[in-house]
Amino acid sequence: MNFHESNPLHLLVRQLGAHIPLSAADEAAIGALPYKVRALEAQSYTLREGDRPDRCAVLISGYAYRHKVTGDGSRQILSLHIPGDALDFQNMFLTESDHNVQMLTRGDVAEIAREPLEQLVLANPRIGEAIFIAALVEASIFREWTVNVGRRDARSRIAHLLCEFSYRLFARGLGPEEHYELPMTQEQLADATGLTPVHVNRVLKSLQADGLIQRDRRVIRFPNWERLRDQADFNSRYLHVKHQASRGANPD
Amino acid sequence: MNDLSIFDRLFRRWERRTAVSKDDKRALEGLPWTYRSFSRESYLLREGEPVSNCTLLVRGFAYRQKLVSTGARQIICFHIPGEFVDLQNLMLEVADHNIQSLGSSQVASVPRTALLSLMSDRAELRKAIWLDTLIDSSIFREWVVNLGRRDARGRIAHLLCELADRLEASGVVNGAAYDFPITQEQIADATGLTPVHTNRTLQALRKDGLISLTASRLEIVDWDRLVELADFNERYLHHSV
Repeated sequence: MNFHESNPLHLLVRQLGAHIPLSAADEAAIGALPYKVRALEAQSYTLREGDRPDRCAVLISGYAYRHKVTGDGSRQILSLHIPGDALDFQNMFLTESDHNVQMLTRGDVAEIAREPLEQLVLANPRIGEAIFIAALVEASIFREWTVNVGRRDARSRIAHLLCEFSYRLFARGLGPEEHYELPMTQEQLADATGLTPVHVNRVLKSLQADGLIQRDRRVIRFPNWERLRDQADFNSRYLHVKHQASRGANPD
Repeated sequence: MNDLSIFDRLFRRWERRTAVSKDDKRALEGLPWTYRSFSRESYLLREGEPVSNCTLLVRGFAYRQKLVSTGARQIICFHIPGEFVDLQNLMLEVADHNIQSLGSSQVASVPRTALLSLMSDRAELRKAIWLDTLIDSSIFREWVVNLGRRDARGRIAHLLCELADRLEASGVVNGAAYDFPITQEQIADATGLTPVHTNRTLQALRKDGLISLTASRLEIVDWDRLVELADFNERYLHHSV
């Protein structure tokens, strides 16, 4: 096997391997895919609704998000993405993109040409399954966001987003459990939770006043994970994390 | 129950998007299917249960939902005949939401191991099933938008447009009226509204000449205006790929 960490696709291999054991040959086959790394500024688009892309992107560094814009121009954020995430693998099979993908921060993506990726996925059932599982977990996250926006109050919505981001970063080995830098403006938080920026501002202040979060610029700390989790109605089941490293403050 | 018609709807849908062969279809039909019937509102699957089957909706309708800690229910999507209601069960081991029958329904279930092993032998069938899950996912995304950024009229109009469009595309019905036994409470749970607000909004849509809705029948009176109000664009349904 001649596949190692100088190849940015090792992040994808690690992400996929968390769901299903990949053999050295599987890993090498992913590592042998042709790719091109692009450095992107914050807010730049990797994909626009209506595009018919001929490549699929893996986030290598920084953060990204999917969103849609309604007829009256308001924006709804659909998901947040962290390094190792496939940003648009659905376009291997769906010709036309049904949403936008934008960078939250500056970062890098590795773009893989669609055709060799599709060939690999169809020829190698195990790699296909791994990518399929990742897509199913993503679908589960969309379902939970429907619930969050549809049936939770403003405090719980924001708390839920904060819990999810923390849990995913930790599960991916990208951060400690008790704090992280939230790469989102209050306007983006509003667009992810179906609220107004003014409302988000008020909720963040009240979560802080109640000791559920501490904020220092964009760094958010969780002094009491259990209370935050209760406020959020957060149950990590929908993230389908296997072999989770034990998490002191989180019995999930 | 006529087995041929059970798979016909599924195959017709798949044929629009893939090159599933006669041989693939016969192999799928030959799996050890078991048939069950469900009464109105009964559960096909509950959150937290371990899963071992995948279930194809044969007759009637079903919906996925989740409960929050206050006990409120959010409906996540509706399913129509010829669709699998739980393809995530192929790979995910525990149900992360509930599935309920809308009216009375009939389903055909198959052990996930049997379906998986068929998929590993047959690339085009694998692709057809993946496509179904990816389109489910696209529908979930659109619902996040609907709940997050449309007003009550837009949300309900969008839900009705989606249902009508999918029913039509699947050949379950033709024309402007649909037998779809949805209650106002279910519309409320699908759009994140209160029953009172839902009732008021439906009345307004009726009064404006956009729809007519009875206990079991949905009629779209003015499709163009409803689409415009709903901000509905069928791209996310990926009828062809």
